[in-house]
Parts: sequence; structure tokens; C-alpha cells
Amino acid sequence: MPWNFENDRPIYIQLVERIQLLIFSGTYPAGTKLPSVRDLANEAAVNPNTMQRALAKLEEDGLIITQRTSGRFVTEDEKMIKKARDKLVQEQINEFLVKIQDLGFGKEEVLAIITKMLEEMKI
Amino acid sequence: MSTILECKGLTKTFGRKKVLSNIDLELETGKIIGLLGPNGSGKTTFIKLVNDLLTPTAGEIRIAGFKPGVESKKIVSYLPEKTYLNEWMKVEQIIEFFSDFYEDFHADKAYEMLQKLNLNPGDRLKTMSKGMKEKVQLCLVMARQAKLYLLDEPIGGVDPAARDYILETIINNYNKDSTIIISTHLIADIEKVLDYVIFLKDGELVLSSFVDEIRAEQGKSVDKLFKEVFKC
Amino acid sequence: MLRKLLKYEIKATARIFLPLYAVLFSIALINRLISFISPLEVQAPKIISMIIYITILVGMFVITFVMMLQRFYKNLLTEEGYLMFTLPTLPWKLIVSKLFIAIMWTIASGIAAYISIFIIFMDFTGISSLFTALIEFCGKLYTLFGLSSFLFTAEILLTILIGLASGILILYASMAIGHLFNRHKILASIGAFIALSTITQILFILLVSILHSLHIHDILLETTNFLNMEVTVHLGIWFIILAAGILATGYFVITNYILSNRLNLE
Repeated sequence: MPWNFENDRPIYIQLVERIQLLIFSGTYPAGTKLPSVRDLANEAAVNPNTMQRALAKLEEDGLIITQRTSGRFVTEDEKMIKKARDKLVQEQINEFLVKIQDLGFGKEEVLAIITKMLEEMKI
Repeated sequence: MSTILECKGLTKTFGRKKVLSNIDLELETGKIIGLLGPNGSGKTTFIKLVNDLLTPTAGEIRIAGFKPGVESKKIVSYLPEKTYLNEWMKVEQIIEFFSDFYEDFHADKAYEMLQKLNLNPGDRLKTMSKGMKEKVQLCLVMARQAKLYLLDEPIGGVDPAARDYILETIINNYNKDSTIIISTHLIADIEKVLDYVIFLKDGELVLSSFVDEIRAEQGKSVDKLFKEVFKC
Repeated sequence: MLRKLLKYEIKATARIFLPLYAVLFSIALINRLISFISPLEVQAPKIISMIIYITILVGMFVITFVMMLQRFYKNLLTEEGYLMFTLPTLPWKLIVSKLFIAIMWTIASGIAAYISIFIIFMDFTGISSLFTALIEFCGKLYTLFGLSSFLFTAEILLTILIGLASGILILYASMAIGHLFNRHKILASIGAFIALSTITQILFILLVSILHSLHIHDILLETTNFLNMEVTVHLGIWFIILAAGILATGYFVITNYILSNRLNLE
């Protein structure tokens, strides 16, 4: 199944995000071996160079480790994954908060709405 | 990075009509490149010039340093938009033909691809539909281990399943030492597969850039940009 | 690469010619059988089978000619040209491979025609007497001209080959010129053929008149005084070979130039 991409942003950034999600959600748990660039590119139906670039970025961020002989692995450092995951959550919440502030909602108001919605979700 | 294709001042006129004018271009090895432009923009003429099927009116072309000729033909695998196969041959005979003439041709790979596309090597080309012949040609062209693949409108006439297979084949056959140039006017389908795009408009080079650079700088897909550049 | 091209050219043509020769020989054999078994007063079957035979014989030469045109035109100047001209080889090798095989089949068709005539008319004594006559003829030739009889044979064979080559190459050149036009290519090819033949004739007349004005024939006639007739004949044959060779080369150069530099595939 080809992955879907948004049209207004570079594909490699979207690939980075997708693979991050796969790692955070446990599809690729810590320490597992990743498929080859070619297989990943094939699955996503994207250019192998672009996939390569995305993996390089993830490696730079420390989420992926390349072992010269045996391929690419998700890092075994769970703390590292958690840190990256928290960072992603913080970024997304931050983005949301900025937007909501622009709409003129105060702190208490936002908190109240969120608390209420979370309670409703529990049921 | 080495250069696979270089053009300097490349110009081609037919009679009084200028089909390509003054193209300067340098393409790196190891990329999948989209040659994009509407019909009549000079894409096919460009590809024919690289294949030595036409002689430039002015300017020059180098393929891995070679002028178009015997040496360049050894390393270029070309898929024309025409069906060029000898009608009287069987598929297996044309495979033998390719094995004989191209040192980089892998017959086993061709058979494997034919099988995936449900084509029978024992069939005569005469009995095949146009779409089937196009698939046979694609198998032949991609079964070579060429330095440069030139695919002229490979996804134009085929059904969606075959189109997906073509894209898959292109991704699978890709390696760092080869370059693939795909000409098309249907960009949305292949944008994800491309590294780099070249826009041709009325025989002139109007843009030459990385796909992700376009997306990052313009905040839009190549497909959208294409439609803006070529809107009538 | 030329060897491979020749191999494929033979493959592409043999599938037509070999069955054709088989049919010709079979019909010839049937003719023989019919004339053998049918009584003298019944003529109809003999006439009918003879008409069929002659039709096939003429058809064979027509097909030989058409194939010669078609292998060049279709294989090089239509869609199939995309394949042939992107092979890692030079255009002249494509031309030469077509030319050699066309010459080969023309000669083969001629031989096949003779064989079919033998099948119909010859008995074993006939064949053996033919061979003895042939040997006798060669012997007479040898006693008359000595070693130079071999030279004569070689010269005549060469004349046939060069003549055939220039005859085929003028057709190739015409098709190549016709192909330069964007429309009515076949009509243009016919026009090119007429133009090329006319130019050839003009050149020939020019050459003859130049030789005439140089009093070549006088010189030759004089040479017979101290040389002999034989040398004059040799010189004559070599003149023909040279002229046909120059023409063949000219047509070849035209064809090669167009296919190398002015290719105009649809």
C-alpha cells in the first residue's frame, strides 16, 4: 500500500514523520531491524534516494543506528525514543496552543474544554 | 558525483520550426529524473537526440562522456513511445535478439518480469495487443543493466495495475550507478518516484530542480507547479 | 556485430524463402509426375500444372524483389528502425547486412529456378550429359585462353555481384532519399529512383563521350596490333566492373549519409 503524502511539503520530511510514528507506536520496537531502503521505498512507492535521505535524517536524530554489516536498526535506547516521542507531543501541543490562543481562548477556558472532552472520551 | 548526461547549447530545428532551443543541462548519475512538459514541448525530440536517432542542428550532447554513437548506445536503454518490435518474432526470440546485441542484457530477469506481467514468452508479437507489446518492451528495456534509461511516456497508455508495476520495477531496478529519465505529462502519478525534474516548454528549459526543493521553496507539489507553469 | 546482424537478417528472411523454394520444388515435382503418368492425348492436367508452376516461378522473383525492398524499408525506416538504430552498431553495418542477404537470396532464387527446371525436364542421362558438356566447355575455354579463363570466370562472377549490388543500392538510396520527406514517402522514393537513374545515365553518357573524345577505342584497337583481343576484352569487363563499382559506392555513400545524419523516423 503506497503511503499518502501532502502536496505542500517535501516528501522526505513526511517520510521521517511516518517512520517516527511507526517507531513510537511500536510497529518497529526498540532494537528491531528495519527493512532495506529498497523495500521501504517500494512499500511507500517513493524514490529510494528520498527514502535514503529520510533514514539519514533519523540516524542523525539518533533514532536509527546503522550497523555496517547487518543493516539498520531502531535504537535500543528506550529513553532516547521516549525523549523523541515526548518532544513530538510537545511540539504538536504547542502548535495547537498557539492556534487556540490566536482564536482568543484563555488558559482556564482551554483547560476546561480539554478536561471535559477527555472525560467524555473515557465513556 | 559523476555526470551522466551533459548538453551544451543543444538546438534542433525541423525546417523553420525550432523544436529545441539552446538547452544547457548537466545531470548527475544515480537519479530518477522526470522530463516534464506538455505534448509538443520537445520531450521526444530531446530523447531521440540523446539516442542518436536525430542529429542536433547545433550544440552537443555527451552521455557519460561519449558523443551519441556506438559507445553511448551500449550504455543507454531506450523505451520509445512507439512499438518497435518485429511482428513476426516470438517474445523469446526477441529476448534472444537482445541477449545477442546488448552485453548488459539479462535474459532471466526479462523472463521473470514477463511472468509477473502474465505474458507468455512463446507468444508471437503479431497476436498481442498494443498494451501487451508495450509491456514486453518495458521488460526488455528494464532487463538491461544500463547506465542510463530513457523512458518515453512509459505510463501513458497502460492500465493502473501495469502503471503501478512499472513504477515498482523502476524503484526495484534503481541503483546508484544508473540514471533513469522518464518523460511524461502525467506528473501526479510519478512525482513521488522522482528525485529531480526538468520542465520543457516550447523547446526551452524553464526549470531544472530537485522535487523536494520545489516542495520546500514553493510549498506546493511539482504537479501543482507544473499546472501553473503550463496553464493556457 | 556485423556477423550478428547478418545472422538476424538471414533468420528474418529464411522463414519466407525456404518455404517458398520448397513450394516451387514440390510444384515442379508434381509437374514431372503428371507428365510422367498422364497419357499423351490428355493435355489439360499438364497445362494446368505448368501454369501453376510458372505462376509460382514468377511469384518467387516478385517476392525476392519485394522482400529486398521491404527488409530495408520496414526494418530501418519505420517503427522497427527505433530498435535497429539504437543497437550499438554503425549504420553502414545495417546497410551492408541488408545488402549481402538481399544479394544472397537473389542468387539463391536464380539457382532455385534452375533446379526446378531440372526437376521438370531433366532425366539422369540429361543431367550427366549436361555436366559432361559443362566440363567440355570449360576445357575448351581453357585451351582457348589458358590460365586467363579462370580470370574470365572470376571477372564475370564479379560483374554479376557488383551489378546486383549497385542495382540493390540504387533502390536503398532511393528509399533513403524518399524517407527525408515528411509526407508521401513512398511516392518520393519512386521520384528519387527516377532521378537517380536519370543522373546515372547522364553520367554514363558523359563518361562514354569523354572516353570517345580521348580516342580510347582507337588506342585499344591499336593495342590489338601488339597485344591481343583477350586483353581488350579483359579491359572491357574491368571497365564495366569499375563503372558499376563506382555507382554502387555512390549509392552506398548517399544511403549511409542519410541514415547516419538525416534520420527522420516517424
